[in-house]
Amino acid sequence: MTIWDKISAIDRRWIYLAMAISIFIPTIVVIRFPVEITVESRQLYDAVESLPDSSVVMLTFDYYPSTLAETEPMSIAALRQLFRKNMKVVTISHIPLGGPSIAERVTRQIAEEFGKVYGIDYVNLGYKANYVAVMHGLASSIEAIFPSDWSGTPLKEIPMMQTIKCYRDIKFIFSVSDNATIDYWISIVNAQYGVPVGGGVTAVSAPKMYSFVEAGQLTGLLGGMKGAAEYEKLVGVEGTATRGMDAQSLAHFLIIALVIIGNIGFFATKHRQG
Amino acid sequence: MKTTIPLIVAFLSGIVLIFAFFFNPDRVFIGAAQEVVLQWMTIISGFALVLGVVSILRVNSAKVKRREAGWHYKLATVISVLVMAIPAILPVSSKTFGGKIFYTVFPENSASLFGTGTGSIYDWLFNYVDSPMMETMFAMLAFYIASAAYRAFRARNAEATLLLLTATIVMMWRVPIGEAFLRLFSTQLPDYINMFLMNGFNVAVQRGIIIGAALGAAAMSLRIILGIERTYMGKG
Amino acid sequence: MEGLSFIEHFQLWLKAYLILSLFSFMYRDNPVYKMSEHIFAGLSAGYYVGLIWQTVIIQQLVNPMVDEGDWWLVFPGFLGILMFARMSRKYTWISRTSLAFVMGSTAGIYLIQTLHGLILPQTYSTIVSLDPSRGFAATLLSLIVVIGVISTLVYFYFSKEHKGFLGATARLGIWFIMISFGAHFGYTVMGRISLLIGRIQFLVYDWGGSIKQLF
Repeated sequence: MTIWDKISAIDRRWIYLAMAISIFIPTIVVIRFPVEITVESRQLYDAVESLPDSSVVMLTFDYYPSTLAETEPMSIAALRQLFRKNMKVVTISHIPLGGPSIAERVTRQIAEEFGKVYGIDYVNLGYKANYVAVMHGLASSIEAIFPSDWSGTPLKEIPMMQTIKCYRDIKFIFSVSDNATIDYWISIVNAQYGVPVGGGVTAVSAPKMYSFVEAGQLTGLLGGMKGAAEYEKLVGVEGTATRGMDAQSLAHFLIIALVIIGNIGFFATKHRQG
Repeated sequence: MKTTIPLIVAFLSGIVLIFAFFFNPDRVFIGAAQEVVLQWMTIISGFALVLGVVSILRVNSAKVKRREAGWHYKLATVISVLVMAIPAILPVSSKTFGGKIFYTVFPENSASLFGTGTGSIYDWLFNYVDSPMMETMFAMLAFYIASAAYRAFRARNAEATLLLLTATIVMMWRVPIGEAFLRLFSTQLPDYINMFLMNGFNVAVQRGIIIGAALGAAAMSLRIILGIERTYMGKG
Repeated sequence: MEGLSFIEHFQLWLKAYLILSLFSFMYRDNPVYKMSEHIFAGLSAGYYVGLIWQTVIIQQLVNPMVDEGDWWLVFPGFLGILMFARMSRKYTWISRTSLAFVMGSTAGIYLIQTLHGLILPQTYSTIVSLDPSRGFAATLLSLIVVIGVISTLVYFYFSKEHKGFLGATARLGIWFIMISFGAHFGYTVMGRISLLIGRIQFLVYDWGGSIKQLF
């Protein structure tokens, strides 16, 4: 048995341990390499900045708890930017497992930081089933689809919603998503109703979104934890995404090293076997 | 009868939403019809979600009854469904019809524990039990991807080598240390990766896939509206 | 981390226990993992019940019917209940009308959405970008996109055998696809690692903070 055979037969749990250590160490020992801003993140930030103060922005929480590490920092940074500009924020979720609860928790937490009041500065519409129908329905009447907000208060009793009746009253949709819902915000709401849509998505969805940015259908893009870290930098408040970038660096290098070692072993064994 | 009525319903509901696209929904009757169809869609689809839960309860409680292997785990699932669901469906106010009866038995100050709002049992269980577990389940994929990178990611041929090289470049580019390393070769290298790799080659393929898949979805939609595609109805 | 109350400590320790119980599977399958896994499945299913009860049944049906007198909502409610006929093999046909309503209307939305929201703008952007007046780099980029889109579409076109010019274009398509999938893999690695970072950040910062305070 050669050294390469031994390396190839290594127990997978050693790899798991290496992965855990590669994240654990930079989480404790902070180095903080600078995060560079990409064109797409800057575009999104500028689009929101260019909106007049007190505009109505819809912030979507279209993600499951499974991807909170990537998506929650985006929502938090977006809320900080929106509240700083005194925007009226309408939150909504198309995710049946946890979406509206996350929206409620995160928005209340950031609203408290800025002294914003529920019903005056922000409203959580919550969830309704069948997202394509919901997206279309909001074009003619928000109240027809959402007679009440997430906690059950009728919309007609919420002061902020007295002037927000449909998409015509919404200036921008900031969609944070970990699934295909953002495709529909783009291809239904932006395409048919003309509301500008900007997006923060998980790393897995990001490559597809470039196509929409290039076509001008999506105004800016945040891709994964790096995108979230870029937005935190733009907004000027470091959060969990920025803190996670050192670990991200080391873990990526571990993966690259594993690919190289795996391939050297593969070629060495192949060469020996002829 | 068993299939004709559903086919007519599918045709009419689909055609209303297609026509609505071509008219100003504010002025024409079709706009009102569209609003009704969309509202009904959200309501009916909601019931479909609960269907899955009923199925989970049925399957698991049957296993508990039969004392199958691992039945105590199935019992934990059934209990968890009930613990989460029951407080969420209890009335949150004594003003409603159900609430009037409920709060004659239970103290009214317990209302904040029920429903789905902040501070409810449902909300607490989600934030401190369900959500952390779901986050962890998916975090475990990082271990598997590391193992797969070591065991399966091989440069077996030219195409696989190309995939491997691109993946390595992107992995370097997306992290701060890697980006700094790439800038050692050329200060503009990371920008070129974004421009040509992501906005060039990647956009081309993603766009091809988007257009191809959209053509397929459009054809399938037309088949459903015209009643050619009927597999969703099942047998019988 | 400021002074935590008993309940806050309890919440952090509960979360930490659940996380570690699931991670224990990475060593080997065990009863602690299995129990957490089954509780997770149950709570997630229970979440749907609470969500649909409050957002659909109460907010969209009961309240508008009782408070506003929107009695006609009884029809979508009835169609929704019919969905449960799918649980019975004998009466499953009863659910077809409800299902057909959702399928038909969704198909209506998709037909417009795919043609108007995806195919046309994406094709338009591909063609319009080929404008030499935008400079060399932009034109080169557009050329890459045009060639890539066509060759990718050809690669997925199976109605004719990939021979001759079609075969060569399809081969070019697979090279493009490999580059894009490579980029996708690179991003996927980042995504998966991010989720683990989130968990370890919790264990180090939040749970670690609680441990520090208690001991």
